[in-house]
Amino acid sequence: MGKLWADRMGRWGLIALAITTFIAVICPIFFPFDPSKVGADAASILTGPSKTHLLGSDELGRDVLRQFFTGARISLFVGIMATVISTIVGSGLGIFAGYYMGRLDGILMRITDFFLVVPALPLMIALGAIFGQNITVIIMVIGFLSWPRTARIVRSQTLSLRQRQFVPRAKSLGSSNLRIIRTHIVPHVMPLIVANTILVVAGCILSEATLSFIGLGDPDRISWGTMLHFSFVSGAIGRGAWWYFLPPGFGILFIVLGFTLVGHSFEKITNPRLGGSE
Amino acid sequence: MSLLEIRDLHISYPNPKGEFFAVDGVDLTIEKGEFVGLAGESGCGKTTLALSIPRLLPRGSHIGAGSIHFNGVDTTALSEEGMRALRWKEISVVFQGALNALNPVHTIGSQIAEPIRIHDESVSKKQAHDRTLELLEAVGIPARRFEDFPHQFSGGMRQRVMIAMALSCMPKLVIADEPITALDVMTQAQILDLLRSLCDRYSLSMLLISHDLSVLAQTCDRVAVMYAGKMAEQGPTSRVFGNHGAKHPYTQRLLSAYPNIKHERKFIDGIPGYPPDLSQEQVGCRFADRCDVALSRCATEVPELIDIGGGQSVACHLASDIRAGVQ
Amino acid sequence: MPFLLRRFFTLLSSIFAIVTFNFFLFHIIPGDPIRLIARTQRLNAEAIAKMRASFGLDGSILSQYFRYLSKLVHGDLGYSFSFKENVSGLVGRALGNTLLLLTASTLIVVILGIAIGVFAGSRQGKKSDTATVISSLILWSMPTFWVGMLLVFTFGVWVGGLPISGISTANAVYSNGFEYFMDISRHLILPTVTLAIVDIAFFIIITRTALIDVMTEDYMLTARGKGLGRRAIVWRHGFRNAMLPVLTASALYISALVGGAIQVEVVFSWPGMGLLMYNSVLARDYPVLEASFLLTTVAVLVANFAADLLYRVLDPRVAVSK
Repeated sequence: MGKLWADRMGRWGLIALAITTFIAVICPIFFPFDPSKVGADAASILTGPSKTHLLGSDELGRDVLRQFFTGARISLFVGIMATVISTIVGSGLGIFAGYYMGRLDGILMRITDFFLVVPALPLMIALGAIFGQNITVIIMVIGFLSWPRTARIVRSQTLSLRQRQFVPRAKSLGSSNLRIIRTHIVPHVMPLIVANTILVVAGCILSEATLSFIGLGDPDRISWGTMLHFSFVSGAIGRGAWWYFLPPGFGILFIVLGFTLVGHSFEKITNPRLGGSE
Repeated sequence: MSLLEIRDLHISYPNPKGEFFAVDGVDLTIEKGEFVGLAGESGCGKTTLALSIPRLLPRGSHIGAGSIHFNGVDTTALSEEGMRALRWKEISVVFQGALNALNPVHTIGSQIAEPIRIHDESVSKKQAHDRTLELLEAVGIPARRFEDFPHQFSGGMRQRVMIAMALSCMPKLVIADEPITALDVMTQAQILDLLRSLCDRYSLSMLLISHDLSVLAQTCDRVAVMYAGKMAEQGPTSRVFGNHGAKHPYTQRLLSAYPNIKHERKFIDGIPGYPPDLSQEQVGCRFADRCDVALSRCATEVPELIDIGGGQSVACHLASDIRAGVQ
Repeated sequence: MPFLLRRFFTLLSSIFAIVTFNFFLFHIIPGDPIRLIARTQRLNAEAIAKMRASFGLDGSILSQYFRYLSKLVHGDLGYSFSFKENVSGLVGRALGNTLLLLTASTLIVVILGIAIGVFAGSRQGKKSDTATVISSLILWSMPTFWVGMLLVFTFGVWVGGLPISGISTANAVYSNGFEYFMDISRHLILPTVTLAIVDIAFFIIITRTALIDVMTEDYMLTARGKGLGRRAIVWRHGFRNAMLPVLTASALYISALVGGAIQVEVVFSWPGMGLLMYNSVLARDYPVLEASFLLTTVAVLVANFAADLLYRVLDPRVAVSK
């Protein structure tokens, strides 16, 4: 962690992450959002920032700032949960395919390649339309589409590790395969997995935002993407309601940038070969 | 006037602990048509010295005191543009590791022909093409392979391509940096013969770098041995490898490390210890702590390179004492 | 050329796999579309059965599958009940519009992106390089649709000046073909720029990294040793090699390119495959959704195939034949 801070890129990433995590975790506690608290009359919809509503109101007269806080939480939650699924499945499959090789590897890789080639967003839209619009489905769908990349990367690292000497040596000592994987392969693959995971979170958050914007988000859980969806379909742009569609977008930009910077910085630190100057 | 005159050259690299002199006060002379060998273990500075001639050192390196005079011109004073005009046209290089030194996406023919038209705009494409075919023939590569790519050649053939490329502008000096290290023994012999015959045929000067003294003994007119950034011994190969023998203890140990297949079995004595860490300040003779005939003053006084006759010079207190008749 | 044939066969089998996957995906729909229609239109059992038959939704799954395949081969993609026309016509037009958008933006992205990437890579460590990398990272972190929204706001509401919706002005009458062309071009500007802004970041970073990697190769020293000038070294030797990993990475990026196009089409109401998908999701018009998903995926597969071939042509180390 110290090294991340020392690297300029990592430092800014960590700062961005800290701020967004604070917003996501702490703020909704003190400023909760009640979706049913709609505006009293027509004049209260899409109003600009004021003393009562620091970030103005949305198309139903509700407070945008509170939505923003809650939205942070949902966006972050979905992104992380989807990443957890993706990482566990992807790394697991990658390690097993790379370690056992042979037929298992062949089959797994054909499946992985299939999903790598299929364009992500169309598939997510199709899956979302078919399986419904609740948050669990969304998490599963996003996670399902991120694991192939992780699997590939982990597999090639496992393959090269496997060729090294300590594997046949450990086997000749009588270690079981699982034991070898646990004690030899996993520790060496970990840095790669961590670096990859951080970058995957960034991708999942973007995916959630896009899915929600398309209209496939969970209507009961307002995420930043959902806010942008509603701002779009309610014509907020045409009305110049910048307080509605700018903050969520900046929020997404900020958090994705944070994860991206930290992820790249981590990669640079654990793999010195990649490091250029600066 | 000698073709190449290097005097008291100092080349340093930046280092967290300060400057680190890879070449620390070295003299070297190469005459026209002379085939000189440069020997020494890895890290002794021979590649740095050689690449400083066409100024192909990596960024960050710094040529400090000393001079390099090529054909009378002080190259250390030349601008980058001036250097570019010299490169390949006057001084070319056969790099180590031909597979990586050749561009994988261009044909070998185009790579050989490339520098020809760069250095002489009056040459037409056809002329460059013909010239390349001549060169291919000179190094023993069939002309039809002009359109082939580097990965389609064996190691020995690739090295020949590198040699043909190095000769394309008919330079005055060719620097060959460990050209045969990665090849098998039979091919090594072929390439060495090729280098020697080309050198004679086109009256070039050649600087051949190798850590393998037997290689230099076969082909070179003169040999220079470096140790830890300094010149230990120089002289005609006939003297250094012949009956007169090497005079520097380091050279002697290097020579004894090669078993002679004709003689009886003997134990190979490696030289105990390691070369000094050049980022530290050096006092006295740098070989002193590994030398088994060191004198007391070797630890404190730096030995100068002294001419001991017959074109041979040594930087060793013991050797100069013997010469002076003191021992 | 046996290799070419083999690769083409792989493409065909992938397409077949996609078709099968597509079919089974859309036929485990929890909500039966026929029942939905029946409810809204109050049909009796006989009418429902007839409708089911006409949509090919009767019989076992396997028989449905084979019927689906035979229809596909004949180019019959079904009928859309929300658009009230044959899906093949819908999809055909949409595909053309999407290709127009993608071609325009890809041209900009590739040319500018590579140029900037080489520029940054050859100046590694200097201020211009760092600035380029930071801007690229920021651009990459922005959701494409949001960039679109910002541009819609700027050029549609705030500053104005450029059309922000559709492919041509509604109800316009053109005196000649050129005017039509110009109208489409004006409508093409903002969507193209939106797509380009985000995608270019990827290209810049990829090209920069590739060039930096290549600069450390030995043959770059050889090039320098030959007395080549800086430009020749970077472009004739460096770039030519750096293009190989860039091409490989681009092939993997095609999927993201398509995703971006969908978002842009939704924001700018550009009548392409993306907007079609969006509308079909809203209307729960599964035949259209199924067909557009299928076609988009097949298009990506073909593009990957083309990229693979291109790579083999450019890299002499990888043989095209045998």
